[in-house]
Amino acid sequence: MAESKTSTEISLQPVGYVVSGGLKENLNVRLTVPAQEVQEGSFIVIESSDWQFYGIATDLQLGATDPRFADEQSETRLPSALAALLHGQTLFTNLVVMPALMLERGPDPSSPLYSVWRASIDSGDKEEPRPMPVKTLPAHHAQARLAASQDIAEIFGDPEEPGNFSVGTTREQNHPVCLNLEKFVQRSSGIFGATGTGKSFLTRILLAGLIDHDKASVLVYDMHNEYGLDDTASDTGKNVVGLRTAFGRAKVQIVGLGGDTKIRETVPDFNLVLGYRDITAADIELLTRELNLKETTPTTLDALVTSFGQEGWFKAFKNMKTDSWIEDENGKKIPAPGSVAYWANSSGVNVMAAEGLHSKLKRVFNLDYIIEVPPSDTIRDIIEALKKGKHIVLSFGRHETDLDYLLVSNLLTRRIRDEWEKLTNTFRSQSAPEPRPLVIAVEEAHKLLNREMAAQTTFSTIAREMRKYYVTLLVIDQRPSQIYDEVMSQLGTRVCGWLGDDDDVAAALSGLASRDALRGMLARLQPKEEVLLLGWGVPMPILVRSRRYDDQFWKEIKSAKKGDFDRDKTISTMWPG
Amino acid sequence: MSEIHIGRLLRANTRGCVAGCQINQPFPAFGSMVSIPLDENTKAYGLVTDIHIDDDGLVRQLAASDNLPEEIIQDNRLNRNVPVELSVLFIGSSDNGRVSHLLPPRPPLSLDRMFTCSEEEIRTFTSSGRFGYLRHILGALDLPAPDLLAAHLMQAGKAHAANDNTAWAKDAIQEIITLLRDDHAVLTAVLGAIADAYPGFAAEN
Repeated sequence: MAESKTSTEISLQPVGYVVSGGLKENLNVRLTVPAQEVQEGSFIVIESSDWQFYGIATDLQLGATDPRFADEQSETRLPSALAALLHGQTLFTNLVVMPALMLERGPDPSSPLYSVWRASIDSGDKEEPRPMPVKTLPAHHAQARLAASQDIAEIFGDPEEPGNFSVGTTREQNHPVCLNLEKFVQRSSGIFGATGTGKSFLTRILLAGLIDHDKASVLVYDMHNEYGLDDTASDTGKNVVGLRTAFGRAKVQIVGLGGDTKIRETVPDFNLVLGYRDITAADIELLTRELNLKETTPTTLDALVTSFGQEGWFKAFKNMKTDSWIEDENGKKIPAPGSVAYWANSSGVNVMAAEGLHSKLKRVFNLDYIIEVPPSDTIRDIIEALKKGKHIVLSFGRHETDLDYLLVSNLLTRRIRDEWEKLTNTFRSQSAPEPRPLVIAVEEAHKLLNREMAAQTTFSTIAREMRKYYVTLLVIDQRPSQIYDEVMSQLGTRVCGWLGDDDDVAAALSGLASRDALRGMLARLQPKEEVLLLGWGVPMPILVRSRRYDDQFWKEIKSAKKGDFDRDKTISTMWPG
Repeated sequence: MSEIHIGRLLRANTRGCVAGCQINQPFPAFGSMVSIPLDENTKAYGLVTDIHIDDDGLVRQLAASDNLPEEIIQDNRLNRNVPVELSVLFIGSSDNGRVSHLLPPRPPLSLDRMFTCSEEEIRTFTSSGRFGYLRHILGALDLPAPDLLAAHLMQAGKAHAANDNTAWAKDAIQEIITLLRDDHAVLTAVLGAIADAYPGFAAEN
């Protein structure tokens, strides 16, 4: 009885051979196995003399040496075995492979040339081969196969090495695919997917990886209160472990918006309350669409700041009265001192514009988490915690309106970015410690990064700056087409789940080479648990079955941490000799 | 089964020859493999592509007469002056037992003897190399290639099957398909002929 083949042996079996193609139009691989054994999105390795090429299957096409062989049902005219032979030779499936990387692997290790090649590397005459963007093509008839685990590890990193975080596995053979977290945080990233595609779970997985790796602080704007504390999955009804529950208060802290806010009946670690002086004119301008502000608003705000100062304008404007009149010596009604109209007249501002702005800002004036003098500077507390390496989940509690989200996230991000800019400048000029990288996770990002607002928000500045000031974004959204394309094009790593809308698919791929080849693949992802990893942060695009956010996930995270403890090394350090 | 002498050569060229044989001898069927020794060590191999029976003056008269007795018919058939002509397409040769699928180095000479091939000889010739001899059949434009291939596959397939090798026929058909896959009309005709000649192909393979 023949021995069963191991998964490695199976993956090293060729699935076809190169028949045509080019760098622009991709490679065509004639399949020698049934088409069902290779699927769109498969990671394909092509071996051609001393080089190994890595690519992704972007399409499968049926072909025939003569169209008439495909048109005619010869199986009805010929004996089945004869028809099978005919079909095997005249009907075929071509796999379209988008080549992405190539790696010099050198001559066959059993040949004498190999030792010469290896020696030239060891002596430094030749660089150690590493995967590089594809610049040439494999030869005709080069054998193509599905990637083995060592191929995946070669390109995406060994999951056993620190910094490599497994986000999922390849679809066909379950080989783990890693993200390099250190590279991941160097540029802003995005997680996209339509509703119900597991975006939140994927975000939890990535955030858990970042927190566990602990080389960057994480600030999560948790609009729907789902990341910090335990939750219940809407589809399975199972408990979903929150980040604070998993990592503990020493590592992850929950900040609730508002003085007496509770998150799922739990008192947060501290509460975020804003003072009047925290609100700047720029913060209000960002709410133009939300509050339906007029084009006169910037002028009015500018006059307010001029009259009352950067820190006093909000309080002064809030305390102004409207519809308050007095009579002058002639008995004519004039605006009473302390009224909006009075201030407008005295400052040369259009009264109607000022009163209109005052009326519209009532929604902001009435927010209960903005008070005159907060008991402590919570924003400073958050910044200090992040600087010290803690991770913050800002839960909006009952304040779930867009107004709350836009105002608070912008205000806080602006302060944080200013602080990190200061830290960076100090680091560069005075050899102070290097700032700790910070990742800000932004849900419903299109609300903050749409075309109208992107130019004004701190978020778009952060996205454009990349890692200049050690702050990057993790953008989470279901409508990437609503995000300003200039911001989208700056996103390094993109993790895309299924997207139904063509515009969203196009947006998720904006700024990437070979987007036409990837478009179909993105549109045909499984609605759940399948994601496409692509962008600057990954060596090449790859389709991944995402990890499950379950007990097993946490067991693996914890066992990986235990693995960090080198018992022998510790003993030898404590008792040398 | 040993080789059987079936006739002598009438005329030949590099690609084929015509041999004459008597009707009272068991002459080979269409598509059969035959051999013609060129010298002590060399043999030319070929396939019977045509069996030609020419008329003569007497047979024309006989054909026109009524009430032809059976003895006359048999006498004319067995003692005819004009032999039955077998056209042979060369498909290779052997030199000291080494098979080549190239055309024979020279044509045989007139009155050289022609033999049917034994099953062993057929197996040796057809399993040598990688079916290179098929190109001679497919390249002969004036021959009924589909039927010739079908007849040859039947004979050779039977010889290999007698040796428990049923894979040979499959490999041969595979090779034919490879050679003809850009010619839909011819390949369809060839496979149709093979299907007719080889109805058991599916069951065997």
